[in-house]
Amino acid sequence: MAEPKIGVFICSCGTNISHVVDTEAVREQALVLPGVETARTYRYMCSNPGQEMIGAAVREHGLDRVVVAACSPRMHERTFRGACRAAGLNPYLFEMANIREQCSWVHADRPAATLKATALTRAAVFRVARNEPLDGLTAEMCPTTLVLGGGIAGLTAALELAEGGYPVVLVERSDRLGGNLARVDLTAPYLDSARDLLTERITRVRRHHNITVMLHSQLKALSGFVGNFTATVQTADGEAPRTIAFRLGNVVVATGYREFDASRITHYGWGKLPNVVTSFEFERMLRSGRIETKDGRPPRYAAIIHCVGSRSREFHGYCSRVCCMTALKYAQEIKSAVPDCYVSDLYIDMHAFGKGCEDFYKRGSEAKTLFLMYGKNEHPVIRRAPPGDDCEMLIEVDEQLSGERIEIPADLVVLMVGMEAREDSAEVAHLVNISQDKDGWFIESHPKLDPVATTTEGIYIAGTCAAPKDIPDTVAQARAAAGRILARIARGRIEIDGVFAEVHEERCSGCRICNELCPYSAIEFDSEKRRSHVIAAACKACGACAAACPSGAVKARHFTSEQVLAQVEGLLS
Amino acid sequence: MSHEPQIVGFLCNWCSYAGADLAGTSRIPYPPNIRVIRVMCSARIEPEFVVEALARGADGVLVCGCHPGDCHYSEGNYKAMRRFPLLKQVLEAYGVENERVRLEWVSASEGQRFAEIVAEMTERLRALGPSRVKAALQADMLER
Repeated sequence: MAEPKIGVFICSCGTNISHVVDTEAVREQALVLPGVETARTYRYMCSNPGQEMIGAAVREHGLDRVVVAACSPRMHERTFRGACRAAGLNPYLFEMANIREQCSWVHADRPAATLKATALTRAAVFRVARNEPLDGLTAEMCPTTLVLGGGIAGLTAALELAEGGYPVVLVERSDRLGGNLARVDLTAPYLDSARDLLTERITRVRRHHNITVMLHSQLKALSGFVGNFTATVQTADGEAPRTIAFRLGNVVVATGYREFDASRITHYGWGKLPNVVTSFEFERMLRSGRIETKDGRPPRYAAIIHCVGSRSREFHGYCSRVCCMTALKYAQEIKSAVPDCYVSDLYIDMHAFGKGCEDFYKRGSEAKTLFLMYGKNEHPVIRRAPPGDDCEMLIEVDEQLSGERIEIPADLVVLMVGMEAREDSAEVAHLVNISQDKDGWFIESHPKLDPVATTTEGIYIAGTCAAPKDIPDTVAQARAAAGRILARIARGRIEIDGVFAEVHEERCSGCRICNELCPYSAIEFDSEKRRSHVIAAACKACGACAAACPSGAVKARHFTSEQVLAQVEGLLS
Repeated sequence: MSHEPQIVGFLCNWCSYAGADLAGTSRIPYPPNIRVIRVMCSARIEPEFVVEALARGADGVLVCGCHPGDCHYSEGNYKAMRRFPLLKQVLEAYGVENERVRLEWVSASEGQRFAEIVAEMTERLRALGPSRVKAALQADMLER
């Protein structure tokens, strides 16, 4: 093998890296490593000038390998592989050293961080010298998309894809379409009817020749890979329950949320005090057109409590995003239906971030609502009023703005229950092979730059299964997921990464250990040759077979033993 | 000055490496003693990788994968889990103290947990002092 010609490019990331790591020292240390032709620092290596700098250096020095010491490869590996490809290099002759997420952002000691960044860079240089040029594969893209969930997100995604001219199978667990939105009366801040928003979509979905709706149905298994999945769906839609299997190319997960169980906060008395209701129970009242207490009287005093289950140490730390504006909507609706009613609104902070929401808040504040601020991690306490009082309940609250403990009367209390991950979210995540965060929400490929894709190719997420969000954001995500899929279908075939396992036939003893180990049944046994061989398109590159092969016949491309051991050597020399 | 141990980490791409990145994006500090190698799955980690790290002077090796049941490749972490006790037995025969080699589960959302594991392991290795097995392992590898 000819001596490699390696270029090392060290990023300061503005000052994100250079405020802790002495990038100049890293550069000097890199320059003396075997095979390194040039080493440079730059403020933003991922920027256009940064990428062009790499290209120019490749041409100037005749580089055949590139190392970028910058952020996590999970962030920009794809970017720099692209830059290498543009410079005429095979993208696998590239390596990243993670000196931001795993160095400058977690260490404060400059000499120690610089030493570590130097070692990480050296490991990348040692490894890249042993990297091999790889070619990917292409495979067919089945144009059918599976949409999981028939709420506003699933309906929207399904329509978008069907309008694009491709088949959609929409699988819904319950017996109806519409999801949680179907339980809502009017939506904030423009007071459009949720029914109007939904009915039109449901009708179009039902009538669309490209959409198959399966109610009472559940995904039971998903195998294969992007463009070539096979789904097994159990359905009770129609006559006898049955299981069907079909081919598909992509999946939109739009399984939504469930509401927080208000009985978990015992001192709110939900389930015990008859006139303490959740926001969804109140929506039902609104849809029936009667705001009244259990015994059929209009309330004289109504109270709305925010952040039930949200923004608390005890339950969920996050904000559920839609409750503040919904609470303001309730205050206005109560005022207009029962003008004599005193309405109090007990909140922690008023979150009015969406378009039109601040104006809505202003209008709400003018509607003679009494706003009382309670402290985070403190809860107002609801109890029955003593006989003789003109109200049914009393709410005690440590009001933050006045600093006083205030007692207010209430005949009707609405609890703004937050959103939480559905009880079946872990099961769904497992089926489609995506991850969940600590609260159970599905994790996106990148929270800012790739919010609807996941780490599994061909699996997209939209709406509240990924985190609480309002209708416009949900619809935008659903359309974005559909758009991503349409773009992939339009390309016809799909490209498959060059990283997969390979069997060296001459070394293979035909023991078949790897056949059993492969979770994707991607290793076949050729009974004539008595050798195993890998179906590259089905391989997902975990490398379990390579680690287990007793004769070292399986090669995990791009993660070979030589490459990993070179990294070990680089880290420790 | 007390001994500053060097730890080599082998982290799976999908859970643990993402968890370590999350410690970074959340700015959760931990000791700079660990240096990480990314593999696709904990099942890819050959015993040889761990032995090589120790032979080249690492004072400890940390292997991290997805929690049981959460593997991106459905059950790769179980394979790592089964392989690990065997490796530890062999290493024990070379006099490698039990604490030097660790297998932990770190999910993509557990930046805090990753930082805590590294801090705790660094502390223990500091107390344990420099690895004495480097020389023994190197001699043996040369013989082969």
